[in-house]
Amino acid sequence: MKKLLAVLLAALMVLGMFGALAEEEPIHLTLWTFQELHTQLYKEMLEKWNANPDNPKLDIDMQVYPYEDMHNKLTIALQSGEGAPDIVDIEINMFANYLKGDIQLAELNDIVEPIEDHLVMSRFNNYAKDGKFYGIDHHIGACIVWYNTEILEEAGVDYTTIKTWDDYHEAGKIVLEKTGKPMCTWESKDCWSIYPLVNQHGGDWLTPDNEVRMDEQVVIDTLAFMRSMLDDGTAVPCPGGNHHSEEYYGWMNAGNCASVSMPFWYLNRFTDYMPDLAGKMKVAPMPLWPDGGHKSAQMGGTGTAVVKTSPNVEVAKQWLAYATLSFEGCVNTWLILGFDPIMTDVYGSEEMKAPNKFFDYYDDTIFDMLKTVLDDIPDTCITEYFPAAGDIVRNQMAYDLVMSDKPVDEIAKDCAQELRDQIF
Amino acid sequence: MEKRYVDRRGVVLTVLATGLMILIAIFAMLPFAFMFLSSLKPGQEMLRNGLSLTFEPGISSFSNYAALNTYRDGIYWCWYRSSAVIMIMQTAVGLFFGSLVGYGLAMYDFKGKNLIFTIVLIVMMMPFEILILPLYRMLIRAKLTDSYFGVIMPYLVPPFMVFFFRQYVTGLPKELLEAGRIDGCTDYGVFFKIMVPIMIPAFGAMTILSCMNSWNNLLWPLIVLSTNEKFTIPIGMGTTITPYGNAFDVLMPGAVMAVVPIVVIYLFAQKTFIAGLTSGSVKG
Amino acid sequence: MQKQSLSDRRRGGFLTDPKVVPYVFVAPFVIYFLVVYLYPTIATILMSFQRIEGPTSVEWIGLKNYERLFSRNYIQALETTARYAFWDVVVLTIVPLLVAVILHSKFVKFASFFKSLFFIPALTSIIVAGIVFRLAFGTLPTAPVNRLVQMFGKEPRDWLMYAGTGNMVLIILTLWRWMGVNIIYYLSGIQAIPTDLYEAAEIDGAGAVSKFFHVTLPGIKPVLIYVITITVLGGFAMFTESVALWQQNNPGGVGRTIVGYMYLMGFYKNNMGLASAVGLTLLVLVLGVNLIQLILMGFFKKED
Repeated sequence: MKKLLAVLLAALMVLGMFGALAEEEPIHLTLWTFQELHTQLYKEMLEKWNANPDNPKLDIDMQVYPYEDMHNKLTIALQSGEGAPDIVDIEINMFANYLKGDIQLAELNDIVEPIEDHLVMSRFNNYAKDGKFYGIDHHIGACIVWYNTEILEEAGVDYTTIKTWDDYHEAGKIVLEKTGKPMCTWESKDCWSIYPLVNQHGGDWLTPDNEVRMDEQVVIDTLAFMRSMLDDGTAVPCPGGNHHSEEYYGWMNAGNCASVSMPFWYLNRFTDYMPDLAGKMKVAPMPLWPDGGHKSAQMGGTGTAVVKTSPNVEVAKQWLAYATLSFEGCVNTWLILGFDPIMTDVYGSEEMKAPNKFFDYYDDTIFDMLKTVLDDIPDTCITEYFPAAGDIVRNQMAYDLVMSDKPVDEIAKDCAQELRDQIF
Repeated sequence: MEKRYVDRRGVVLTVLATGLMILIAIFAMLPFAFMFLSSLKPGQEMLRNGLSLTFEPGISSFSNYAALNTYRDGIYWCWYRSSAVIMIMQTAVGLFFGSLVGYGLAMYDFKGKNLIFTIVLIVMMMPFEILILPLYRMLIRAKLTDSYFGVIMPYLVPPFMVFFFRQYVTGLPKELLEAGRIDGCTDYGVFFKIMVPIMIPAFGAMTILSCMNSWNNLLWPLIVLSTNEKFTIPIGMGTTITPYGNAFDVLMPGAVMAVVPIVVIYLFAQKTFIAGLTSGSVKG
Repeated sequence: MQKQSLSDRRRGGFLTDPKVVPYVFVAPFVIYFLVVYLYPTIATILMSFQRIEGPTSVEWIGLKNYERLFSRNYIQALETTARYAFWDVVVLTIVPLLVAVILHSKFVKFASFFKSLFFIPALTSIIVAGIVFRLAFGTLPTAPVNRLVQMFGKEPRDWLMYAGTGNMVLIILTLWRWMGVNIIYYLSGIQAIPTDLYEAAEIDGAGAVSKFFHVTLPGIKPVLIYVITITVLGGFAMFTESVALWQQNNPGGVGRTIVGYMYLMGFYKNNMGLASAVGLTLLVLVLGVNLIQLILMGFFKKED
């Protein structure tokens, strides 16, 4: 009996070994993100990767964290040198934090440089230091304007005739007079109203050498324009304080406001949170500044990075390149996430025309519109003090502009001083 | 006459006092009503009409609760189990050590006793938040990150329990120890066989406070745990709140379900709980 | 004596030696204190003199973190915290005490039912409760609280966007959550007061108010000290409540407390050294305020 058992056991062990040989052990990677949506793209691209027999099999453990906490966790893990994931999504505001001291992220130049000509490279500079790239973005984040055509028609305004911000303001006055509704909302505790306008106007918060630009005339002029719209009621403080609050979604969805200016990735906030506006919203380029500037601005973003200390840096980089820098990956970025991909080749391709919920919600001219602005988008200057600048813009500049009567030149001056104090 | 006057005054006071209590009860319960009614509606409804106290039969249903089972492959129940395991471990260990130390401080006179009690008091007044980073570094060196033990490590001998048990035992007759010794018990035997049964009300009170702290603890578990399946409910709920919009479909029913066990524990233990707090009354 | 040592020998025990026993009982706390409190505190003190930019780049920078401490943001966080802590202590000491006294009076029907009910908010997670409060005090005229004030003919407001009303909402949230706990502490104290003290006062012709000040208040002094002490700590170390209402935003300077500022510095701006310095100022502040409070309340006198 015992012998029989021993033989059986031995046989099982042998079988087990063969089994292990036949079934190639996948490489385990860990990925952290703060945005559950991103995992949909990653899962799709992982499946495709594993379907190709030439690729080493991967098993990626995708962990979703609350936004703030993921970055805190990453900071602690990188600081202490242990517990960090292999791949991680880092929000653009936070990225500079991880480029201080001895950088714990892996250089991605070898996967970016070979296809440089096909990419919108200004998006990579946001995640770079000393000519080395550390993060890959999912999108351009070109700023555009959404118009509620129902309200505009009621007021007798044709949004395609709005070319400059002055036109926009004038149209706003007509809308307000005819419908009693504001043209737009300015955020009082976030940066998505001020920063795109300033940046499009040719301004920014910092120079690459950390000279503060917050009190330049272009910033003051932009703030003065925004304030003038608040003064005559064509702009109102955003309900809930920013364009991502529940209150704003509900209020906008009920048709209370004629337009909003946000980066391209805001498309999916409409489809997901403002379903009642389907078919009514039209997208258009940002109005232009009469005194110069650019056609759009690139805003927001997530730099996906590979951690240097990961035992599988190479394969993690290869997969990341496949998921985010391949033609397929970029097409899926649009189809699944509704982002404007960073690869210029995909625009105009047949694959991008596949029907999805975004085309259903708007119409299929989105990319024709977008293509007209892609050639003139300024760089944003993201240095190690960008997080500090962002904090000041959100909590001081936006608040003072929208919620107080403080003169705009003082706002700009005080904010600049605050930033200089933090830099010295 | 005199008597009737007093009666009428009593009735008025009763109505006023009870009425005031009802108002406060409404204040205490209102957020739960919002939570529960919202949990029955589609998340989109929250965005469309904001918070409201209406019950709309047309759109209200328990389907959000059913969706908890399918949300990210039923991960909600992993969080639930995780919260429960941590709560039970943390409470059991805390009660054991807390009662032991509190008893020791109250029952014996020994050198250093006052120093230790002073330390207990100081530690009770220290904001735990400032210790998080060094503690986390310690966990990493001990390879305890992402473990349940790591989560309960800072709560092994909760100072507030030491304090409370010390207060409670101070009120007990010291002769019990002598009597036990004469019966042939060791001092430890006296503690486990004689004292612990007497201290049951104190255990009841501390059980509720400990369960409550553990079940709703956010910061430290969040730093220690990294596997999504090991998350506790508050952390898991946190992942449904993003800067880009909240998943109310999960958040609201999840929150309601999270309140249930702790309220059940409370209702079961509340007699002992309140009796314990009363008889152990804080003597400063 | 002899009997004692005999029994010792029989049990073979160093551990049962009456001189050793008390130390065995308190040993877990001593070890716990050294590992969980003393060591991290020392580490925090050391870190406050460092610039830390990664596992291998740690630099001693002397007092620089302390020199940089008193920025506008820090002062603002200090003000926010102090304002909150003040009202927190005032409201959370007085309101639950009054409710407890009323509950204890013979005039409340179903007193134990109310007592249980008031405690339930303390059992919930602040995350979701915070969202409910945030939406209830929303900016739109249709938000619940704005509807309520409009019923009384008042203008709707942006409650959470100004320091004054924002602080008020925080206090309401805190009161909602912790009132029940403090009520139970107070009731435990009140019930321990011998009833003959009240009877004696009544014979002296004392009214309800006089009884409250001359019998109840002195009688619950230890409880009062305890409640104030933990409320001071809770007030100064408050963080999650403010995050639940404002996330990391700070409209009008109301959303960022000292602990919030510590987090901002430590994690968001990746400056652990400065964060440690901020943390230590919080420690000094809490211990200082509590020490003053305990001296004023005469806590140290009773040891005679």
